[in-house]
Amino acid sequence: MKFEETLVQDVLVLRVHEGRIVADVVPRFKESLIAYAKSGKSSIVLDLSDVTFIDSSGLGALIGSLKAIGSGGELVLCSARDGVMSMFKLTRMDKVFQIYANPESAAAALSTRNGADREKPHSGDR
Amino acid sequence: MKILLVDDDPVARSFHSMLLHMQGHEVVEAADGELAWRLVEEGHITFVVSDWMMPNLAGVDLCRRIRASDFGGYVYVILCTSKGAKSDLVEGMDAGADDFLVKPISPEEFRVKVRAGERVLSLQQGLREKNRELANINNQLHSAHKLVEDDLKAAAWMQQRLLPLPAQEAAGVRCAWRLRPFGYIAGDIFNLFPLDENTVGFYLLDVSGHGVPAAMMSVTLSMVLTPDATHGSPLKRFDNTSGESQVLSPDGAVRELNRRFQSKDDRYFTMIYGVLEIRSSKLRLAQAGHPSPILVRRGGEPILVGNGGMPVGLWPEIEFDCLDFVVAPGDRLLLYSDGVTECVSKGGETFGEARLLAFLREHPSPSLDELLDGLLAKITSWAGTSEFTDDVSLLALDFTGEKTS
Repeated sequence: MKFEETLVQDVLVLRVHEGRIVADVVPRFKESLIAYAKSGKSSIVLDLSDVTFIDSSGLGALIGSLKAIGSGGELVLCSARDGVMSMFKLTRMDKVFQIYANPESAAAALSTRNGADREKPHSGDR
Repeated sequence: MKILLVDDDPVARSFHSMLLHMQGHEVVEAADGELAWRLVEEGHITFVVSDWMMPNLAGVDLCRRIRASDFGGYVYVILCTSKGAKSDLVEGMDAGADDFLVKPISPEEFRVKVRAGERVLSLQQGLREKNRELANINNQLHSAHKLVEDDLKAAAWMQQRLLPLPAQEAAGVRCAWRLRPFGYIAGDIFNLFPLDENTVGFYLLDVSGHGVPAAMMSVTLSMVLTPDATHGSPLKRFDNTSGESQVLSPDGAVRELNRRFQSKDDRYFTMIYGVLEIRSSKLRLAQAGHPSPILVRRGGEPILVGNGGMPVGLWPEIEFDCLDFVVAPGDRLLLYSDGVTECVSKGGETFGEARLLAFLREHPSPSLDELLDGLLAKITSWAGTSEFTDDVSLLALDFTGEKTS
């Protein structure tokens, strides 16, 4: 699972270099995400520009990563394509993850929060 | 090594035979090609040194015959010619000769070329043994695989037994279904059953992931999702003192399921759960992250219903929505898994909800079975294969308006 790393305003932006986040790549995907979070960069933007499809295992891995990162960090998403976005909406993941239009707005939102108290993202309670 | 020496010239033959004996080989002699061929045919000849020009059968033709036959192992052939022309060499090699000796034959050259032939034969022998080993291992793998496959087939049969009977009916609703597992067993499952004398429940769920773990979860869920309250069904609230049970609303039932099935390993499931009240024809649906069902009012346009919802098993305290309808006789509801809408054509395009709606619009079929068979045929032709890449589930309901079954 390849990620392209960039730092935007001290926020780590990981662009997923994989078109499909599906069962066979999921273990490495989750491992890598958690490794990044543990390595000290506690604010992570996952850039989904190249992702055309996320299957049920992929969604499970995203959620599992979010839970594993917990209150010690932030994981937000950006640049979700239409198909992926509609899957997020169907499963109400747009209430669980903050999803931004592009890496810049995601990084901007995270960097203003850096240093301030961080709450665990609300898990879809309505 | 036993070597067949073929030469019609007795002087040359006895000289070369002596050279071979000096190298420790056993020599079988033949004075003409046909005799040599008969000796080769009888078997156990793996090395031939043959003169080219001979009565009855020339050396090059002997070589051709040898190459055209199968003696079980390789036969090394050295041709001897007094001509030494390049064209001879080519013709000889083309005929399948392994090497050449030009007369008069130098003893040293003879020795090293025979030794080279021995090396080739020993390599070939080694290869044959390795192949025998491989064939053996292959057979073992094949048997092991067959065992696993047999187990999966048995599991698939068990899972099929859990599905509704083909002509399952409950008061107020008729149903038809199709299940095409990806692999032998499915992570999808569905059912329909009376909950009490006035309500019918039905569901279609899809466990995340694939294979045996997902299928085991789906089977577990199908056992849990039972109308029988004495087994602690999450679909009913059971009052211990009065002994009465009350059917839970779909959102209440799914909330209870969610409480019980919190995942430890990122596994979750999506679900549509519906409850039909027969007398009032009220239909309530809960949508837990599952693709929107399609409601087709009698004589009306197919529409997607639902605004989404969280899947089951991810976080403990989740509220689910409930959709409310009143159904009339002839109204239909189609539940399906994402194996249908995510079905990809050879060109990489997904089937999608729009095509599904279009199909239903264009096929207001009289029977549920025709509808489902037609839809399966449609996605099969869309995919270009009947081997789908995900479980495909379809549950179609026809609201009959009958108050008793």
